[in-house]
Amino acid sequence: MASPIKWRALTAGIAGVVGIVVLHWMVFFWVPTEATMGVIQRIFYIHVPAAWVAFMAFGVVALCSAIYLWLGDERLDMMAVSAAEGGMVFTTVVLLTGPLWGKIAWGTYWVWDPRLTLTLLLWFIYLGYFMVRAATESPERGKRFAAVVGIVGALDIPLIHLSVVWFRSLHPGPVVLKPEGPSLHPQMLATLLTGFGVFTVLFFSLMAYRFGLERARRAAAARAAGRLRPAGA
Amino acid sequence: MSDRAGLRAPFLALALVLASALPALGQAGGGLGSQTLGRSYWFLFLAYAIAWALVLGWVVSIARRLARVEKELEDPRET
Repeated sequence: MASPIKWRALTAGIAGVVGIVVLHWMVFFWVPTEATMGVIQRIFYIHVPAAWVAFMAFGVVALCSAIYLWLGDERLDMMAVSAAEGGMVFTTVVLLTGPLWGKIAWGTYWVWDPRLTLTLLLWFIYLGYFMVRAATESPERGKRFAAVVGIVGALDIPLIHLSVVWFRSLHPGPVVLKPEGPSLHPQMLATLLTGFGVFTVLFFSLMAYRFGLERARRAAAARAAGRLRPAGA
Repeated sequence: MSDRAGLRAPFLALALVLASALPALGQAGGGLGSQTLGRSYWFLFLAYAIAWALVLGWVVSIARRLARVEKELEDPRET
C-alpha cells in the first residue's frame, strides 16, 4: 500500500478506535435507558449507524460504478469493490443485531416485514455483485457486469428507507430523518450522532485499507500476466 | 499455518465466542440469565460482540490478504 493512503488510513483508523471508546462510554455510562424497551434499546446505537454506513457504502459503490462505466478508470472499480466489501460487513452487522433487539422488543427474531426483507435483499444483491465479478471468464466483463449490479442494487436503499412510511410495518419509522425533525431525547440523539461519526470514520479508513489491498493485488496480477506473455508479444 | 487456515482463524474465534455464550442464552429467562444479568443484557452483549467481531474479522482478513500479495510482489519467483 502506498504511503499517503497508508498513513491516511492509519490516522483515520486511530481516530475511529478512539471514537469507538468514546461511543461505548456514551452508550453504557452516559445515555439514559429508554423507558419502554429498557436496556436492549442500546443496540440502537450500533444498529442504526451500521445501517447508515452500509447504505453509504452501497451509495459509493453505485456512484463509482456509474463513473467507471462512463470513464473506464480502474481506480473507480477498485474503490467500488472496496466499498462493496465494507457494505457487506456492515449490512451483516445490521442483519444480526436487529434480530437480537427484535427478540426482546417484538418477541421474535425475524418477521417478513418490508424493511427487514428489503435489507436482506440488499445483502443478497451485493453478494451477487461479488459472484458476478468472480464467475465471469473475462475480468473486464466481470467488472462491467458487477458495476451494473452495483448501480441497480443501490435502488433498494431508498426503498428500505421509505418502506416503513409506505407500508404497514413492525419496524419503527424514522426518528432522525423526518420532516418535523428528530424525535429523540437530546442525549440519545447526541449518542446516535456520535455513532454515525465513528462508524463513518471507521468505514472510510477500512475502505482505504481495502483499496490498498486491491491495488497491490492488481499490480501482482499485472506482473504475473506480463511474465506469462510470450516473447515478442 | 497456511494462509487459508489463517483466514479462517477470526471466524473460528467468532464461532467460539458465540458458542461459549449459547449455554448462557439457553438459561436466559430461567437460571443465570434472570438471576444475574437478564436476557436483555445477554442479547445486548451479543449484539456488540458480533458487531465488533465482524469488523475485526474484516480488518484481519484484509491484513492477511495484503501480506500475502505483498510477499508475492517482493518475491520474483512467486506468481
